[in-house]
Amino acid sequence: MDKNFLDQFLFVALPYVCLFTFFLMTVYRYRMQSFSYSSLSSQFLENKHHFWAVVPFHYGILVITAGHLIAFLIPRQILLWNSHPLRLYVLEIAALAFGLLTLIGLVGVIVRRFSNSKIRCVTTPTDWLLFGMLMLQTAGGIAVALFHPWGSSWFATNLAPYLWSIFKLNPDIMFVAAMPALVRFHIVFAFLTIGFFPFTRLVHVLVIPNPYLWRKPQVVRWYGRRPSVERNQR
Amino acid sequence: MKPLSRRLSSPKRHLPLKTPLQRAHRRDHTLSALWDLGCGGSPASAPARRQRSFSVRLGLAGVAIWAATWIWPAGVLAQDTPDYFRQNCMNCHTIGGGRLTGPDLKDVTQRKDRAWLVNFMVNPKAVIDSGDAYARKILEESRNVPMPTLPGLNKDRAERLLDLIEAESKLPESQFKGLQISQEPFTDADRQRGRAIFLGHVRLEAGGAACISCHTMHDTPALGGGRLGPDLTNVFERLKGRKSISAWLMAPGTETMLPIFKNHPIRAAEIHALTAYFEASASESPAEPAADRVTFLLTGLAGAVALVFGLDAIWKHRFHSVRRTLVDQASMRGRR
Repeated sequence: MDKNFLDQFLFVALPYVCLFTFFLMTVYRYRMQSFSYSSLSSQFLENKHHFWAVVPFHYGILVITAGHLIAFLIPRQILLWNSHPLRLYVLEIAALAFGLLTLIGLVGVIVRRFSNSKIRCVTTPTDWLLFGMLMLQTAGGIAVALFHPWGSSWFATNLAPYLWSIFKLNPDIMFVAAMPALVRFHIVFAFLTIGFFPFTRLVHVLVIPNPYLWRKPQVVRWYGRRPSVERNQR
Repeated sequence: MKPLSRRLSSPKRHLPLKTPLQRAHRRDHTLSALWDLGCGGSPASAPARRQRSFSVRLGLAGVAIWAATWIWPAGVLAQDTPDYFRQNCMNCHTIGGGRLTGPDLKDVTQRKDRAWLVNFMVNPKAVIDSGDAYARKILEESRNVPMPTLPGLNKDRAERLLDLIEAESKLPESQFKGLQISQEPFTDADRQRGRAIFLGHVRLEAGGAACISCHTMHDTPALGGGRLGPDLTNVFERLKGRKSISAWLMAPGTETMLPIFKNHPIRAAEIHALTAYFEASASESPAEPAADRVTFLLTGLAGAVALVFGLDAIWKHRFHSVRRTLVDQASMRGRR
């Protein structure tokens, strides 16, 4: 296939298809099935391995996603921060550490869902597909960080303008056309994940009660009495 | 979940709905039924039609945004021809200022016929791939850096650009002559300034990214420089000396660098300093990437492990003790 045509498809058509799918289907699903906006927590079914999977995964992916968003919104300031090598290294090591934290958590999530029969029962094929995509995307991101450093700087110079060109409805693929295959894969998979987002449990991101991140512990108790207790009282 | 037809004909449907909560609950059931319908359910009811009308509006909004994506670039195409040349062609070409990455375009229409030039400008890759001898010659003279396909460059714009080049070629000094680089001998101060520019300590005046973002050198400290582009330790020899490396920095022609420096050109004094630094490092051995990569990975891994234990220390009372204590207490009560 002609490379130019392939680039137009991967970096112009596909992003718009994925972004439109994301916006339209997210609203559509919220209107049609409000109660399906949930992460469908399995915490009550298994709680021992839960911590080592879900907590690293969530804090890792939140920081990494926020980092990508910040570099997209204020690329000049990122370049200014990186203008001293020590600061550049600090930023890159922190990003890699959170990337690895995400990977550790994600492996934990997948192992927990696979090894526990109760959790496996409530895991749908869509969930498995989503875990596969997130795994590829996270591993791909770490590989990009290791083999094509320093992403925080070249994201600001090349990818931020490309993404802005997409949002300004005037796509300029020159910024990404010559990028290494790993980087191109990471970009394409990011858009595919965004497009797949409204069909998955990821929608809970949009309705998350944010105070969960810092609120004090809450004790959840069963309201009903156990049959043995009732028997004893009779 | 019951099929749509059964749910809509359920006796509950005819009961009066007393409270807003009940009404909201009923509405949600209807919406769920419609979601099922999309997956192959039964014919729609009035509420379902209302929801379908919402879907149609949503679809139309999507189509409108999609149409805007094709209309918007039309405004961009209305750009002035000299401005277009300045922003898209001057990275690699001058008119009467000598060769950069691409050839000097002075009197180019006298060297080759317009039809060929227009064809090449609109789709350079296709002409090169077709095996055209003249296109291959240009490619070799440009150190095998092919001319990129430029955004918005159609046949009409190519004709207007050739008109501009013809007019500028007739002038004693074209406005597109380009930067003129100093021929002064390099000093230690130049070399130190070049290294500072490379590392980012001294910022590029026009706002371009520091070289360390994508390149490394033999003496780049700690974890080394970027690896998106090549190691530049021996670039002075690779590009065959001062004149051609200066021309390269004046108009970085690779597809990755071109869009970055198109709007943030490197100034003549900065090119002079960087060239001095590259000349001084020409005899050194390039940096070893594997060692830097392992150090980077291990440091990141140590950070990740520290984060896992840190999160455990912060959250253990929430996720471990509280619920686990409850479960343990419940188990103990069961045994008593």
